[in-house]
Amino acid sequence: MLSLQQTIKEIPLSTRKNPDFPLNAERDLVEACRSGSLAAFEQLYEAHGARMKSIALNLLGNISDAEDAVQESFLKVYRSIGNFRSQSAVSTWICRILLNVCYDLRRKRQRRQQTPGLGPDPEWGGSADAADHPLRLTLEKSLSRLHPRTRAVFLLFEVEGFKHSEIAEILEIPEGTSKSLLFEAKQELRRLLFKSQREGRLNAT
Amino acid sequence: MKFECKDLDYVLRRQEPESLKALEAHAENCAACREQLRLWNEISAAATCMKKSWDTPQLWPRIHQALVSEMQEDTFRRERFPSKHKVQFLSQLEVLLANWRTAAAALALLLISLSSAWVLLRTPAPPSVPKPPSSEKRLLTEQTLREVESAEDAYLRSIEKLSKLVQSRIDQPTSPLLVSYREKLTLIDAAIDDCRANIAQNRFNTHLRMELLSMYQEKQRTLQELVKEE
Repeated sequence: MLSLQQTIKEIPLSTRKNPDFPLNAERDLVEACRSGSLAAFEQLYEAHGARMKSIALNLLGNISDAEDAVQESFLKVYRSIGNFRSQSAVSTWICRILLNVCYDLRRKRQRRQQTPGLGPDPEWGGSADAADHPLRLTLEKSLSRLHPRTRAVFLLFEVEGFKHSEIAEILEIPEGTSKSLLFEAKQELRRLLFKSQREGRLNAT
Repeated sequence: MKFECKDLDYVLRRQEPESLKALEAHAENCAACREQLRLWNEISAAATCMKKSWDTPQLWPRIHQALVSEMQEDTFRRERFPSKHKVQFLSQLEVLLANWRTAAAALALLLISLSSAWVLLRTPAPPSVPKPPSSEKRLLTEQTLREVESAEDAYLRSIEKLSKLVQSRIDQPTSPLLVSYREKLTLIDAAIDDCRANIAQNRFNTHLRMELLSMYQEKQRTLQELVKEE
Protein backbone atom coordinates (compact mmCIF):
# COMPACT_ATOMS: atom_id res chain seq x y z
CA MET A 1 0.00 0.00 0.00
CA LEU A 2 1.30 3.44 -0.89
CA SER A 3 1.70 5.88 1.91
CA LEU A 4 0.34 9.37 1.56
CA GLN A 5 3.74 10.99 1.18
CA GLN A 6 4.82 8.40 -1.39
CA THR A 7 1.62 8.92 -3.33
CA ILE A 8 2.02 12.66 -3.45
CA LYS A 9 5.70 12.44 -4.37
CA GLU A 10 5.38 9.70 -6.96
CA ILE A 11 2.37 11.11 -8.72
CA PRO A 12 2.88 14.82 -9.13
CA LEU A 13 0.08 17.03 -10.39
CA SER A 14 1.93 17.67 -13.64
CA THR A 15 1.52 14.05 -14.74
CA ARG A 16 -2.23 14.12 -14.48
CA LYS A 17 -2.89 14.21 -18.22
CA ASN A 18 -0.96 11.00 -18.80
CA PRO A 19 -0.80 9.06 -15.60
CA ASP A 20 1.82 6.33 -15.55
CA PHE A 21 -0.37 4.14 -13.48
CA PRO A 22 -1.29 1.13 -15.60
CA LEU A 23 -4.92 0.98 -14.71
CA ASN A 24 -6.94 -0.85 -17.29
CA ALA A 25 -9.61 -2.71 -15.50
CA GLU A 26 -12.20 -1.03 -13.33
CA ARG A 27 -11.30 -3.32 -10.48
CA ASP A 28 -7.69 -2.25 -10.59
CA LEU A 29 -8.79 1.36 -10.68
CA VAL A 30 -10.92 0.87 -7.58
CA GLU A 31 -8.07 -0.94 -5.83
CA ALA A 32 -5.69 1.88 -6.66
CA CYS A 33 -8.18 4.45 -5.39
CA ARG A 34 -8.58 2.39 -2.27
CA SER A 35 -4.84 2.51 -1.70
CA GLY A 36 -5.00 6.31 -1.87
CA SER A 37 -3.57 6.81 -5.33
CA LEU A 38 -4.33 10.29 -6.58
CA ALA A 39 -3.51 9.18 -10.13
CA ALA A 40 -6.25 6.59 -9.88
CA PHE A 41 -8.68 9.24 -8.71
CA GLU A 42 -7.62 11.40 -11.63
CA GLN A 43 -8.32 8.54 -14.00
CA LEU A 44 -11.71 8.18 -12.40
CA TYR A 45 -12.28 11.89 -12.96
CA GLU A 46 -11.19 11.62 -16.58
CA ALA A 47 -13.61 8.76 -17.13
CA HIS A 48 -16.65 10.09 -15.31
CA GLY A 49 -16.07 13.80 -14.65
CA ALA A 50 -17.76 15.14 -17.78
CA ARG A 51 -20.92 13.12 -17.26
CA MET A 52 -20.95 14.03 -13.58
CA LYS A 53 -20.71 17.73 -14.40
CA SER A 54 -23.57 17.44 -16.88
CA ILE A 55 -25.84 15.59 -14.45
CA ALA A 56 -25.02 18.01 -11.66
CA LEU A 57 -25.70 21.07 -13.81
CA ASN A 58 -29.00 19.68 -15.01
CA LEU A 59 -30.03 18.90 -11.45
CA LEU A 60 -28.74 22.05 -9.81
CA GLY A 61 -29.05 24.50 -12.70
CA ASN A 62 -25.90 26.31 -11.65
CA ILE A 63 -22.31 25.81 -12.84
CA SER A 64 -20.75 26.78 -9.55
CA ASP A 65 -22.95 24.41 -7.58
CA ALA A 66 -22.43 21.69 -10.17
CA GLU A 67 -18.66 21.90 -9.83
CA ASP A 68 -18.94 21.93 -6.05
CA ALA A 69 -21.13 18.84 -6.27
CA VAL A 70 -18.59 17.01 -8.43
CA GLN A 71 -15.79 17.92 -6.04
CA GLU A 72 -17.80 16.84 -3.01
CA SER A 73 -18.71 13.60 -4.78
CA PHE A 74 -15.05 12.76 -5.31
CA LEU A 75 -14.36 13.36 -1.65
CA LYS A 76 -17.23 11.04 -0.78
CA VAL A 77 -15.89 8.47 -3.24
CA TYR A 78 -12.53 8.66 -1.47
CA ARG A 79 -14.15 8.33 1.94
CA SER A 80 -16.34 5.36 0.99
CA ILE A 81 -14.24 3.54 -1.59
CA GLY A 82 -13.34 1.06 1.15
CA ASN A 83 -16.98 -0.03 1.28
CA PHE A 84 -17.35 -0.42 -2.49
CA ARG A 85 -17.81 -4.14 -3.16
CA SER A 86 -17.84 -4.13 -6.98
CA GLN A 87 -21.40 -5.46 -6.96
CA SER A 88 -22.35 -2.55 -9.17
CA ALA A 89 -20.41 -0.67 -11.82
CA VAL A 90 -18.22 2.22 -10.67
CA SER A 91 -20.15 4.54 -12.98
CA THR A 92 -23.48 3.79 -11.32
CA TRP A 93 -21.95 3.90 -7.86
CA ILE A 94 -20.38 7.31 -8.50
CA CYS A 95 -23.59 8.54 -10.07
CA ARG A 96 -25.56 7.51 -6.99
CA ILE A 97 -23.14 9.43 -4.80
CA LEU A 98 -23.39 12.45 -7.08
CA LEU A 99 -27.19 12.44 -7.05
CA ASN A 100 -27.22 12.36 -3.26
CA VAL A 101 -24.72 15.20 -3.10
CA CYS A 102 -26.84 17.21 -5.54
CA TYR A 103 -29.98 16.63 -3.49
CA ASP A 104 -28.15 17.72 -0.34
CA LEU A 105 -26.79 20.83 -2.04
CA ARG A 106 -30.18 21.74 -3.42
CA ARG A 107 -31.79 21.35 -0.03
CA LYS A 108 -29.14 23.60 1.51
CA ARG A 109 -29.58 26.15 -1.22
CA GLN A 110 -33.36 26.13 -0.88
CA ARG A 111 -33.05 26.67 2.87
CA ARG A 112 -30.65 29.54 2.19
CA GLN A 113 -32.58 31.27 -0.55
CA GLN A 114 -36.10 29.93 -0.11
CA THR A 115 -36.32 29.78 -3.89
CA PRO A 116 -36.62 26.39 -5.48
CA GLY A 117 -35.92 27.71 -8.99
CA LEU A 118 -34.20 25.04 -10.98
CA GLY A 119 -34.48 26.50 -14.42
CA PRO A 120 -31.56 27.09 -16.74
CA ASP A 121 -28.61 28.77 -15.13
CA PRO A 122 -28.19 32.44 -16.17
CA GLU A 123 -24.48 31.78 -15.93
CA TRP A 124 -24.93 28.97 -18.42
CA GLY A 125 -26.83 31.46 -20.53
CA GLY A 126 -29.20 29.03 -22.09
CA SER A 127 -27.82 30.04 -25.44
CA ALA A 128 -28.91 28.04 -28.40
CA ASP A 129 -26.12 26.97 -30.70
CA ALA A 130 -26.36 25.32 -34.10
CA ALA A 131 -26.71 21.85 -32.61
CA ASP A 132 -29.32 23.01 -30.14
CA HIS A 133 -32.95 22.02 -30.20
CA PRO A 134 -35.69 24.70 -30.23
CA LEU A 135 -37.49 22.91 -27.44
CA ARG A 136 -34.48 22.62 -25.10
CA LEU A 137 -35.12 25.76 -23.05
CA THR A 138 -38.81 24.99 -22.69
CA LEU A 139 -37.94 21.43 -21.78
CA GLU A 140 -35.50 22.55 -19.11
CA LYS A 141 -38.09 24.84 -17.61
CA SER A 142 -40.72 22.11 -17.68
CA LEU A 143 -38.32 19.62 -16.11
CA SER A 144 -38.01 21.77 -13.03
CA ARG A 145 -41.70 21.12 -12.34
CA LEU A 146 -41.24 17.37 -12.13
CA HIS A 147 -40.73 15.36 -9.01
CA PRO A 148 -37.00 14.98 -8.29
CA ARG A 149 -37.00 11.21 -8.80
CA THR A 150 -38.96 11.45 -12.05
CA ARG A 151 -36.64 14.21 -13.25
CA ALA A 152 -33.60 12.12 -12.35
CA VAL A 153 -34.88 9.14 -14.36
CA PHE A 154 -35.55 11.36 -17.38
CA LEU A 155 -32.13 13.01 -17.17
CA LEU A 156 -30.28 9.73 -16.73
CA PHE A 157 -32.12 7.95 -19.55
CA GLU A 158 -32.81 10.61 -22.14
CA VAL A 159 -29.92 13.00 -21.53
CA GLU A 160 -27.09 10.85 -20.21
CA GLY A 161 -27.95 7.64 -22.00
CA PHE A 162 -28.04 5.27 -19.03
CA LYS A 163 -30.01 2.04 -19.47
CA HIS A 164 -33.00 1.29 -17.27
CA SER A 165 -31.00 -1.45 -15.52
CA GLU A 166 -28.30 1.10 -14.65
CA ILE A 167 -30.86 3.68 -13.52
CA ALA A 168 -32.40 1.01 -11.32
CA GLU A 169 -29.00 0.50 -9.70
CA ILE A 170 -28.33 4.22 -9.31
CA LEU A 171 -31.68 5.08 -7.79
CA GLU A 172 -32.06 1.73 -6.06
CA ILE A 173 -35.46 1.08 -7.62
CA PRO A 174 -36.81 -1.80 -9.68
CA GLU A 175 -36.19 -1.59 -13.42
CA GLY A 176 -39.95 -1.50 -14.07
CA THR A 177 -40.26 1.52 -11.82
CA SER A 178 -37.58 3.26 -13.81
CA LYS A 179 -39.56 2.63 -17.03
CA SER A 180 -42.77 3.84 -15.42
CA LEU A 181 -41.12 6.98 -14.08
CA LEU A 182 -39.68 7.74 -17.51
CA PHE A 183 -43.11 7.40 -19.09
CA GLU A 184 -44.65 9.64 -16.42
CA ALA A 185 -41.90 12.21 -16.97
CA LYS A 186 -42.35 12.24 -20.73
CA GLN A 187 -46.12 12.29 -20.48
CA GLU A 188 -46.00 15.28 -18.14
CA LEU A 189 -43.41 17.02 -20.29
CA ARG A 190 -45.50 16.38 -23.38
CA ARG A 191 -48.49 17.92 -21.64
CA LEU A 192 -46.46 20.95 -20.54
CA LEU A 193 -44.87 21.39 -23.95
CA PHE A 194 -48.22 21.05 -25.70
CA LYS A 195 -49.66 23.68 -23.37
CA SER A 196 -46.65 25.93 -23.87
CA GLN A 197 -46.83 25.62 -27.69
CA ARG A 198 -50.55 26.34 -27.70
CA GLU A 199 -50.01 29.45 -25.56
CA GLY A 200 -47.22 30.50 -27.91
CA ARG A 201 -49.49 30.20 -30.91
CA LEU A 202 -52.26 32.17 -29.17
CA ASN A 203 -49.80 34.95 -28.26
CA ALA A 204 -48.56 35.08 -31.85
CA THR A 205 -52.09 35.59 -33.20
CA MET B 1 -51.89 -5.24 -35.00
CA LYS B 2 -54.90 -2.94 -34.86
CA PHE B 3 -54.20 0.39 -33.14
CA GLU B 4 -56.71 2.80 -31.64
CA CYS B 5 -56.17 6.34 -30.26
CA LYS B 6 -56.89 5.19 -26.71
CA ASP B 7 -53.93 2.79 -26.91
CA LEU B 8 -51.45 5.65 -27.33
CA ASP B 9 -50.27 5.92 -23.72
CA TYR B 10 -50.21 2.16 -23.27
CA VAL B 11 -47.94 1.72 -26.28
CA LEU B 12 -45.68 4.58 -25.29
CA ARG B 13 -45.37 3.16 -21.79
CA ARG B 14 -44.57 -0.39 -22.96
CA GLN B 15 -42.22 0.74 -25.74
CA GLU B 16 -42.61 -2.55 -27.59
CA PRO B 17 -41.23 -2.30 -31.15
CA GLU B 18 -44.25 -3.94 -32.83
CA SER B 19 -46.75 -1.72 -31.02
CA LEU B 20 -44.67 1.35 -31.83
CA LYS B 21 -44.74 0.46 -35.53
CA ALA B 22 -48.51 0.13 -35.35
CA LEU B 23 -48.73 3.50 -33.63
CA GLU B 24 -46.61 5.15 -36.33
CA ALA B 25 -48.83 3.65 -39.01
CA HIS B 26 -51.93 4.89 -37.21
CA ALA B 27 -50.44 8.39 -36.73
CA GLU B 28 -50.07 8.84 -40.47
CA ASN B 29 -53.86 9.03 -40.72
CA CYS B 30 -54.62 10.51 -37.26
CA ALA B 31 -53.64 14.16 -36.70
CA ALA B 32 -54.12 14.06 -32.91
CA CYS B 33 -51.98 10.97 -32.42
CA ARG B 34 -49.42 12.30 -34.91
CA GLU B 35 -49.06 15.51 -32.85
CA GLN B 36 -48.71 13.55 -29.63
CA LEU B 37 -46.14 11.23 -31.14
CA ARG B 38 -44.21 14.18 -32.62
CA LEU B 39 -44.01 15.85 -29.21
CA TRP B 40 -42.98 12.55 -27.66
CA ASN B 41 -40.11 12.17 -30.06
CA GLU B 42 -39.15 15.81 -29.87
CA ILE B 43 -38.79 15.52 -26.13
CA SER B 44 -36.18 12.82 -26.63
CA ALA B 45 -34.48 14.85 -29.36
CA ALA B 46 -34.40 18.00 -27.23
CA ALA B 47 -33.18 15.98 -24.24
CA THR B 48 -30.03 14.97 -26.08
CA CYS B 49 -29.21 18.68 -26.36
CA MET B 50 -29.47 19.03 -22.62
CA LYS B 51 -26.16 17.27 -22.13
CA LYS B 52 -23.90 19.94 -20.69
CA SER B 53 -20.23 20.30 -21.38
CA TRP B 54 -17.91 23.08 -20.41
CA ASP B 55 -14.21 23.50 -19.81
CA THR B 56 -13.21 23.29 -16.21
CA PRO B 57 -9.41 23.42 -16.15
CA GLN B 58 -9.50 24.39 -12.50
CA LEU B 59 -11.82 21.62 -11.34
CA TRP B 60 -9.40 18.69 -11.17
CA PRO B 61 -6.72 20.75 -9.35
CA ARG B 62 -9.44 21.72 -6.87
CA ILE B 63 -10.49 18.12 -6.41
CA HIS B 64 -6.84 17.06 -6.23
CA GLN B 65 -6.16 19.61 -3.51
CA ALA B 66 -9.28 18.61 -1.60
CA LEU B 67 -8.27 14.94 -1.79
CA VAL B 68 -4.74 15.71 -0.59
CA SER B 69 -6.13 17.68 2.35
CA GLU B 70 -8.52 14.86 3.15
CA MET B 71 -5.71 12.29 3.01
CA GLN B 72 -3.51 14.45 5.24
CA GLU B 73 -6.32 14.79 7.75
CA ASP B 74 -6.79 11.03 7.64
CA THR B 75 -3.10 10.47 8.31
CA PHE B 76 -3.23 12.99 11.15
CA ARG B 77 -6.29 11.32 12.61
CA ARG B 78 -4.71 7.89 12.33
CA GLU B 79 -1.58 9.08 14.10
CA ARG B 80 -3.38 11.02 16.77
CA PHE B 81 -6.37 8.83 17.35
CA PRO B 82 -6.40 5.05 17.32
CA SER B 83 -8.25 3.23 14.63
CA LYS B 84 -11.63 1.66 15.16
CA HIS B 85 -10.07 -1.77 15.70
CA LYS B 86 -7.52 -0.30 18.06
CA VAL B 87 -10.26 1.43 20.00
CA GLN B 88 -12.18 -1.84 20.19
CA PHE B 89 -9.07 -3.67 21.38
CA LEU B 90 -8.35 -0.98 23.97
CA SER B 91 -11.90 -1.02 25.23
CA GLN B 92 -11.78 -4.81 25.53
CA LEU B 93 -8.47 -4.52 27.34
CA GLU B 94 -9.99 -1.91 29.60
CA VAL B 95 -12.87 -4.26 30.43
CA LEU B 96 -10.40 -7.02 31.14
CA LEU B 97 -8.35 -4.73 33.35
CA ALA B 98 -11.43 -3.55 35.15
CA ASN B 99 -12.43 -7.17 35.77
CA TRP B 100 -8.93 -7.99 36.89
CA ARG B 101 -8.97 -5.04 39.28
CA THR B 102 -12.30 -6.18 40.70
CA ALA B 103 -10.98 -9.70 41.15
CA ALA B 104 -7.81 -8.40 42.82
CA ALA B 105 -9.82 -6.19 45.17
CA ALA B 106 -12.06 -9.11 46.11
CA LEU B 107 -9.03 -11.31 46.76
CA ALA B 108 -7.39 -8.61 48.91
CA LEU B 109 -10.61 -8.23 50.90
CA LEU B 110 -10.80 -11.97 51.44
CA LEU B 111 -7.17 -12.11 52.62
CA ILE B 112 -7.72 -9.23 55.06
CA SER B 113 -10.86 -10.89 56.45
CA LEU B 114 -9.11 -14.24 56.88
CA SER B 115 -6.07 -12.72 58.56
CA SER B 116 -8.28 -10.66 60.91
CA ALA B 117 -10.22 -13.76 61.85
CA TRP B 118 -6.99 -15.67 62.44
CA VAL B 119 -5.60 -12.88 64.66
CA LEU B 120 -8.81 -12.73 66.69
CA LEU B 121 -8.90 -16.47 67.22
CA ARG B 122 -5.22 -16.65 68.21
CA THR B 123 -5.22 -13.75 70.69
CA PRO B 124 -6.02 -14.87 74.31
CA ALA B 125 -9.23 -13.50 75.54
CA PRO B 126 -8.83 -10.57 77.96
CA PRO B 127 -9.79 -11.20 81.63
CA SER B 128 -13.45 -10.96 81.88
CA VAL B 129 -14.58 -7.72 83.40
CA PRO B 130 -17.42 -8.32 85.85
CA LYS B 131 -20.55 -6.89 84.55
CA PRO B 132 -21.91 -4.07 86.62
CA PRO B 133 -24.88 -5.15 88.68
CA SER B 134 -28.08 -4.37 87.10
CA SER B 135 -28.99 -2.22 90.12
CA GLU B 136 -26.24 0.24 89.23
CA LYS B 137 -27.93 0.94 85.97
CA ARG B 138 -31.05 1.86 87.84
CA LEU B 139 -31.95 5.28 89.10
CA LEU B 140 -32.06 3.97 92.65
CA THR B 141 -29.05 2.01 93.69
CA GLU B 142 -29.18 -0.58 96.37
CA GLN B 143 -27.53 1.73 98.83
CA THR B 144 -29.74 4.70 97.97
CA LEU B 145 -32.73 2.47 98.28
CA ARG B 146 -31.63 1.43 101.73
CA GLU B 147 -31.25 5.10 102.67
CA VAL B 148 -34.70 5.89 101.21
CA GLU B 149 -36.24 2.97 103.10
CA SER B 150 -34.65 4.02 106.37
CA ALA B 151 -35.83 7.61 105.86
CA GLU B 152 -39.22 6.25 105.05
CA ASP B 153 -39.25 4.20 108.23
CA ALA B 154 -38.29 7.28 110.27
CA TYR B 155 -40.98 9.31 108.55
CA LEU B 156 -43.45 6.52 109.15
CA ARG B 157 -42.51 6.42 112.86
CA SER B 158 -43.09 10.14 113.20
CA ILE B 159 -46.49 9.77 111.51
CA GLU B 160 -47.28 6.86 113.84
CA LYS B 161 -46.50 9.14 116.82
CA LEU B 162 -48.90 11.71 115.44
CA SER B 163 -51.47 9.00 114.85
CA LYS B 164 -51.22 7.83 118.51
CA LEU B 165 -51.97 11.37 119.58
CA VAL B 166 -55.32 11.42 117.83
CA GLN B 167 -56.05 7.68 117.94
CA SER B 168 -58.62 7.86 120.80
CA ARG B 169 -60.58 10.61 119.04
CA ILE B 170 -60.62 8.77 115.75
CA ASP B 171 -61.69 5.49 117.29
CA GLN B 172 -64.60 7.23 119.06
CA PRO B 173 -65.54 10.23 116.95
CA THR B 174 -67.72 12.71 118.73
CA SER B 175 -68.57 14.88 115.77
CA PRO B 176 -69.29 14.35 112.05
CA LEU B 177 -66.03 16.13 111.23
CA LEU B 178 -64.07 13.54 113.21
CA VAL B 179 -66.02 10.81 111.38
CA SER B 180 -65.00 12.24 108.00
CA TYR B 181 -61.38 12.55 109.21
CA ARG B 182 -61.53 8.90 110.24
CA GLU B 183 -62.87 7.90 106.83
CA LYS B 184 -60.22 9.97 105.11
CA LEU B 185 -57.46 8.39 107.18
CA THR B 186 -58.93 4.94 106.45
CA LEU B 187 -58.83 5.68 102.74
CA ILE B 188 -55.25 7.00 102.93
CA ASP B 189 -54.16 3.91 104.89
CA ALA B 190 -55.80 1.65 102.31
CA ALA B 191 -54.02 3.52 99.52
CA ILE B 192 -50.73 3.33 101.42
CA ASP B 193 -51.16 -0.43 101.84
CA ASP B 194 -51.85 -0.86 98.11
CA CYS B 195 -48.83 1.22 97.22
CA ARG B 196 -46.57 -0.64 99.59
CA ALA B 197 -47.79 -3.94 98.11
CA ASN B 198 -46.82 -2.68 94.64
CA ILE B 199 -43.46 -1.45 95.89
CA ALA B 200 -42.80 -4.89 97.40
CA GLN B 201 -42.95 -6.28 93.88
CA ASN B 202 -40.60 -3.63 92.50
CA ARG B 203 -38.54 -2.01 95.20
CA PHE B 204 -36.61 0.16 92.77
CA ASN B 205 -39.67 1.87 91.28
CA THR B 206 -39.06 5.53 92.02
CA HIS B 207 -42.46 6.58 90.82
CA LEU B 208 -44.24 4.36 93.35
CA ARG B 209 -41.99 5.62 96.09
CA MET B 210 -42.86 9.22 95.24
CA GLU B 211 -46.54 8.28 95.29
CA LEU B 212 -46.10 6.65 98.70
CA LEU B 213 -44.32 9.75 100.00
CA SER B 214 -47.18 12.01 98.86
CA MET B 215 -49.64 9.66 100.66
CA TYR B 216 -47.58 9.80 103.81
CA GLN B 217 -47.48 13.57 103.54
CA GLU B 218 -51.24 13.64 103.08
CA LYS B 219 -51.70 11.45 106.15
CA GLN B 220 -49.30 13.67 108.07
CA ARG B 221 -51.25 16.84 107.11
CA THR B 222 -54.57 15.18 107.97
CA LEU B 223 -53.27 14.07 111.38
CA GLN B 224 -51.77 17.53 112.02
CA GLU B 225 -55.17 19.07 111.22
CA LEU B 226 -56.80 16.69 113.67
CA VAL B 227 -54.29 17.67 116.32
CA LYS B 228 -55.08 21.33 115.73
CA GLU B 229 -58.82 20.57 116.00
CA GLU B 230 -58.36 19.71 119.62
